[in-house]
Amino acid sequence: MIPAWMAQSDTYAPPRDGGAFAMRTLRSVGSALARLQIQRGRDGLRIPPVIKLLLLILGIVTLSLARNRLLLLAIAALVLSYTCLLPARTVLAVLRPAFGAALLSLVLFLPAMLLRPAGAGNNWIVIGKVFLSVTMVSIFNRRTQWNRITGALRKLHVPGVFVFVLDLTLKYVVLLGGLIADLLTARGLRAVGRDRHKYRSVGGVMGVTFLRASALSRETWEAMVCRGFTDDYKGL
Amino acid sequence: MRIIELDHITFSYAPDEPPVLRDLSLTVEAGECLVLQGDNGSGKTTLFRVLNGLSLPQAGVYRFDGEAVTASLLKNQRWAKRFHKRVGYLFQNPDVMLFNASVREEIAFGPRQMGLNEDEITSRVSDCLALFDLESLADKAPYHLSGGQKKQAALAAVLALNPEVLILDEPLAGLDRGTRARLVQLLSELRQAGKTLLIATHDDMLRSSLDARVYTLERSI
Amino acid sequence: MHIPENYLSPVSCAVMGAAMIPVWVHAVKKTNAELPKEKLPLLGAGAAFSFLAMMFNVPLVGGTTGHAVGGTLIALLFGPNAACIAVSVALLLQAVIFGDGGVLAFGANCFNMAFVLPYVGYAVYRLVMGKNRENTLQAGGIRPYAAAAIGAYVGLAAAALCCAVEFGVQPMLFKDAAGNALYCPYDLSIAIPAMMIPHLLVAGFVEAAFTVAVFALVRKTAPDLTYDRMLADTSAGKKKYIPVFALIAALIAACPLGLLATGTAWGEWGADEIAEIVTDGKALGYTPNGLETGWSLDVPMPDYALEGMNETLAYILSAIIGVALLLILFKLISIPMKGRRKAS
Repeated sequence: MIPAWMAQSDTYAPPRDGGAFAMRTLRSVGSALARLQIQRGRDGLRIPPVIKLLLLILGIVTLSLARNRLLLLAIAALVLSYTCLLPARTVLAVLRPAFGAALLSLVLFLPAMLLRPAGAGNNWIVIGKVFLSVTMVSIFNRRTQWNRITGALRKLHVPGVFVFVLDLTLKYVVLLGGLIADLLTARGLRAVGRDRHKYRSVGGVMGVTFLRASALSRETWEAMVCRGFTDDYKGL
Repeated sequence: MRIIELDHITFSYAPDEPPVLRDLSLTVEAGECLVLQGDNGSGKTTLFRVLNGLSLPQAGVYRFDGEAVTASLLKNQRWAKRFHKRVGYLFQNPDVMLFNASVREEIAFGPRQMGLNEDEITSRVSDCLALFDLESLADKAPYHLSGGQKKQAALAAVLALNPEVLILDEPLAGLDRGTRARLVQLLSELRQAGKTLLIATHDDMLRSSLDARVYTLERSI
Repeated sequence: MHIPENYLSPVSCAVMGAAMIPVWVHAVKKTNAELPKEKLPLLGAGAAFSFLAMMFNVPLVGGTTGHAVGGTLIALLFGPNAACIAVSVALLLQAVIFGDGGVLAFGANCFNMAFVLPYVGYAVYRLVMGKNRENTLQAGGIRPYAAAAIGAYVGLAAAALCCAVEFGVQPMLFKDAAGNALYCPYDLSIAIPAMMIPHLLVAGFVEAAFTVAVFALVRKTAPDLTYDRMLADTSAGKKKYIPVFALIAALIAACPLGLLATGTAWGEWGADEIAEIVTDGKALGYTPNGLETGWSLDVPMPDYALEGMNETLAYILSAIIGVALLLILFKLISIPMKGRRKAS
């Protein structure tokens, strides 16, 4: 028999208390997952990913070493002209983090620029470099699928073990990130009032995620063994 | 009284993908029992997400208890919390619903959120444990329960909030025969107590013993 | 705590990256001996967990939230050596795929968050727990949690201090001819308090609370999955800790020295570069009057920047940048219009 209280309906007036941490985590995990999953294979110029990766590293190193303003200007011209050829939405996605990083640097460097105006020129250069390098990384990762990035690393003769771990990590990020998102959503549906034990929920969500992570790793290993894996990680 | 009213709802997960729900209209009276049927991929879970305010349809209106559920209304913490208190949702995969250190804590989460006092919480928890014969597992970690036990623990945790509308995604899947019979009995008691039930199931016994209306979702693609 | 690109000089980045190599080698060797057989999938799982933990928003007072790094937590769950690798992989993903933290600054970020944080955090945890391993496993009550909290707090503080030092030495070592900082403009006297105050007052507690919350659930529900248990089960764990700590101490001591050493070396091998500064001196030097008018205008490309360069080339480049910026602007403006058209 169902208890008496269940047969009636409660009158309930909830308090105002935000589950801000859950909402924000959902948003950040969600956007990371979207980045990893919805990378559809339009690769633009069809440059092989290995070359792209090398170009990216070359670009970042050059930018970082560049002291000559003409060279900096040339890099800026190159990066921006490439950016302006991208579709509008990609441009937005590429420039948003770049502007964010540059703005943060500006805020951080502002006191120094005010205190020591003579050094401001160099500070502006650092801010510009931050903007350009974040743009470069964004272009790279918006135009390359991550499974191709790990493939590129393999071609660069990065040890197979390392690439294997990286590949697994990305797969687990998708699986476990989905779990975190689901756990937080389900928690949100039952979090109908004031939460006095927020940290219990935090520990619960990430704790369960850890338990799932270890179960996943065990299952992966068992599946590897079932398919004839013989502890030889070098041959991967 | 119409508790749920879907008016020409269309929903798709991405703008360039075909919609999962297309032009769907459905009305559920308070106290009614509706069994939702449809092939895999016909959008049962998606429909449940819409009904819980987890997904917002791109077109059409969803009215809950006469009020149109909109993004701005869901952003209103007070309204959203009351809405979630009134609508209980059992996920198809109970794993995602269990995040506490023990079954007891799991069930106590909802009542504690509602700000009930400790005595009320204890009695609600023990009532809910008793409904599913979970007393012996009360102090175990939900993570270590079997699939069927997890499903029951998750449902117990939803019922502890005493929602008016229960949305259950495959509640009988993976349960043994005895547990099924007890759950069907429990659901018909809840129906008699005036709760609104929306159940996705392929189980004919459940449908006939609840005397439920059947709604079949067609794949929209 | 993620150091972005270009805040540190390329030389510092190289030094920090070089410092990480022996750490990684050590961690990989140790992990091989310590972890159960399924170590590679477990490392992947650890890295994914670490990556997601860094994204988790932890509640603070009054509806605000903060981020934890979770280095100590991962050391408590996977062991400090596996934690070092796991956090490094997570940082690599963040740098390359998500643009969080610099690609060149990867070594420095690993040094702070994948090396100092988990090892120091874990060492403090052990110190508070006492030597006896059996105690660690059976310890009930509040002690393991207090130890985890203190470990997490101290670990984060140590990592923040390293980060502050890395920032702080930049203006001392890397200046242009006029004595202006080329990278991070704050020296130790500013960088240390600026980094340490928020980390000691807020972030340290966030880290501690996050660590304890997750550690508590795992300890309650699956104590056999913590590193303490893993150590007790493998004979490899019986080995002494002294070599690890010796390595940590040596590296921590050597690193600022290394920075200083390369700093002086920088002045030497930079002979060509100095020549460049001298030849380009008029371009790079600070003509004060040009500066004050130039920078007060908030134009992205102030006139003076072109001064003394190959003017034609500079103008062509500026024109390209201008056209590109205009095109980008038009594209961005067109987004809402496209959206409307689709909706209607």
